[in-house]
Amino acid sequence: MTNKKTLTGYIVNFIICVALVVFAVMARSLGMQPKVSTMIWQCCYFIILACSLNLVLGFLGQLSLGHCGFMAIGAYSAALISLAFQRAGFYTEKSGPEFMLVLVICIVAAGILSAIVGLIVGIPALRLKGDYLAIITLGFGMIIVNVINNLPFCGMDGLSLGSASSALYQNGLGFVLHQLTDYLWLPVLLVIICVALMFTFIRSKYGRTIKAIRDNEIAAGASGVNVSYYKVLTFALGAFFSGIAGAIFACCNSSLTTGSFSFTSSSILNSTFIVVMVVVGGMGSLTGSAVSAVGMFLLNYTIKNGKWVQALPNFAQQIFAYPMLVYSIALIIVIVFRPKGIFGTYEFSLVNFVTSIPRWPAILKEKFGKKKTEEVAGNE
Amino acid sequence: MKKRILALVLALCMVFALAACSNGNNNDNANKGTNNQQNTNTANVINIGAIGCLTGAASTYGVSVANGIKLAVDEINNAGGIDVAGTKYTIALTQKDDQGDPTECLNAFNELTGNGIELIIGSVISSCSSAITSPANTAGVVMITPTSTADAVTTTSDYVFRSCYADSNQGAIAAAYAAQQGYTKVGVVYCAADTYSKGLYDSFSAACAANNVEIVVAESTDTMEANDFSNQFQSVIDSGVDFVFAPYYYGTVGPYLVPSARRAGYTGIIMGADGYDGVLGCISEGTEEYFYDVIFTNHYDSADTSDVVKNFVTAYGAAYNNEVPTAFAALAYDATYMMVQAITKAGAFDAASVKAALDDQTVVYTGVTGTFSLDATGTPNKGAAIIEFTNDGTSVTTQLRDTVSIG
Repeated sequence: MTNKKTLTGYIVNFIICVALVVFAVMARSLGMQPKVSTMIWQCCYFIILACSLNLVLGFLGQLSLGHCGFMAIGAYSAALISLAFQRAGFYTEKSGPEFMLVLVICIVAAGILSAIVGLIVGIPALRLKGDYLAIITLGFGMIIVNVINNLPFCGMDGLSLGSASSALYQNGLGFVLHQLTDYLWLPVLLVIICVALMFTFIRSKYGRTIKAIRDNEIAAGASGVNVSYYKVLTFALGAFFSGIAGAIFACCNSSLTTGSFSFTSSSILNSTFIVVMVVVGGMGSLTGSAVSAVGMFLLNYTIKNGKWVQALPNFAQQIFAYPMLVYSIALIIVIVFRPKGIFGTYEFSLVNFVTSIPRWPAILKEKFGKKKTEEVAGNE
Repeated sequence: MKKRILALVLALCMVFALAACSNGNNNDNANKGTNNQQNTNTANVINIGAIGCLTGAASTYGVSVANGIKLAVDEINNAGGIDVAGTKYTIALTQKDDQGDPTECLNAFNELTGNGIELIIGSVISSCSSAITSPANTAGVVMITPTSTADAVTTTSDYVFRSCYADSNQGAIAAAYAAQQGYTKVGVVYCAADTYSKGLYDSFSAACAANNVEIVVAESTDTMEANDFSNQFQSVIDSGVDFVFAPYYYGTVGPYLVPSARRAGYTGIIMGADGYDGVLGCISEGTEEYFYDVIFTNHYDSADTSDVVKNFVTAYGAAYNNEVPTAFAALAYDATYMMVQAITKAGAFDAASVKAALDDQTVVYTGVTGTFSLDATGTPNKGAAIIEFTNDGTSVTTQLRDTVSIG
């Protein structure tokens, strides 16, 4: 019975993934606007970022505030490696088998470099607990931005001398407008691969071990679990995936500035907001992280660009001129009504969802009834 | 449950209170989505987009720029609009906020171009502008940035132009001024790790070599936010120069750089660049007497007595609570008029025609920030106002010291 259900699950998920990729490949011929494809690219790197932070925050239970630092490493290494290939004449146009090879090399290298840095940071940092780890990772996020600022080959034309700390204008990967639509399959495929890998990690013996560490570190250690090893492993894995998110970011932007990754960045691409995404989505739920990453991105985007804002009365529009203000109300609402996040630790399953539809009325009735009795009890 | 609702209501109250507070000074930007739709029902409309950081850390710059653009557009529309090949067109302006973030800037750009806008004024800070130059060139969208001074923002034969001079010009102007004043030995105090400071130092030293001015001492600080400059200025004094070029931002110059230089015993000229605009707001009490022979290059001088500047300052004050326009507002105002002049010259308002008109290097633009034409990269060739700080012992004021032009 369970085996059959698992098999159905695999088949359904596989079909959905293939459908997504096919849709992405056909995006250009379906007449997708560059605006929409840019949004999908951005959603994709937010999903990977939020999910990879969830490994550390939700499953391992360690607060990391420097996630964008790993992303910066990924973005800059992907951009500079691709630029080196371009300068060497390995490819001239952003198409063809040579470019595909470079693309794969860059994305993998971005992940691996981030993971190595994650390892270097993680080994000393994970000896600390709670707030102290948060402070170390916070410092790391700031340090990495300053390091990149002071590397002469990270500025202006890239790989050339003497212009540290400015924007990197040349980027061998940077897709522009319709190229973003042509290559839409890339982020979609990467999201599917990365999230699938994270899922298998969480469901494996490693995943169960890190959940044990989260629940009780001392008990886990006493049961023979090598606590430091698993902590560093998870931390490096989180860094690996955020490096890949950085590579997607580099593909999506024709130029890079460290300002995008700094702790004071005023947009939602900010280490703090990635933490917020994980908390809102539910610590310990990868699907929750994905949903809240997309949701928050869309909220942030529509606050500024949505047509519905213009339909609001004038005084409300004046609030909407300050996107962060509206954003914070939305966060307060979610946290007040769903303190564990949208999904909690529940993982969304397509098969369960579809098969449960006939039982909905009963479930709703049960939940509603329960709430009422709780309230009565509370009032007394 | 009741507590939850109470918490929610209180949170909402707080937000509404904040919004109410901001109404007074920001009503012209806040409802940015709607105020621009006023002309869309008439047929003869040219759509122009504007991108800038209306919120976020650099919002003072962005709001000034937005005000400058809005002022110019209102003036043009009130005068009946632009004359394009015999027909009058009014401008419909759409302003977008990028929060000073490159990704948000890209989204704003996509949103504008998705709505069919081909003429854009923006963005404000260089990192944002750099994020949309490549899309602008690919999509064929004319972009005039009012204030992005980083050299690499515009290249030859592209769709990107600007109304401010580039960082490299600014250093050259400072060097030309030193040479003009007869200094043959100068010193530099700068920050090697910052684009702005390092860029200005590079262009200053290159121009010094061309002007036969020798840099005898170059001292560097590790950050732009250094608090103590006494060691740097001690070696300046030891080398015996009377002219120091120190490109820093106003937050460092006012409270730290000038006082520590004077306390170290340095009495010569301290020269800076447009980052000194705003020093007046951050001079510590008791240090006023140190502000003599402190000069900087700026895009324009608000106390200039020429008619163009006087009219602009008056109109700006009337529109925005008697504020004195900063250089950012003046540059944005000029960028708008550059766009308009190019449209008039082209006799059309599609991107290709406007680009062709802006590419013409013989066209002379007369603006608040000077009379200039564009070079091959789309950067103005213009001089700068040299502004000087003077004090009467208890208060510091600025005045125009000189104007310098190069080339």
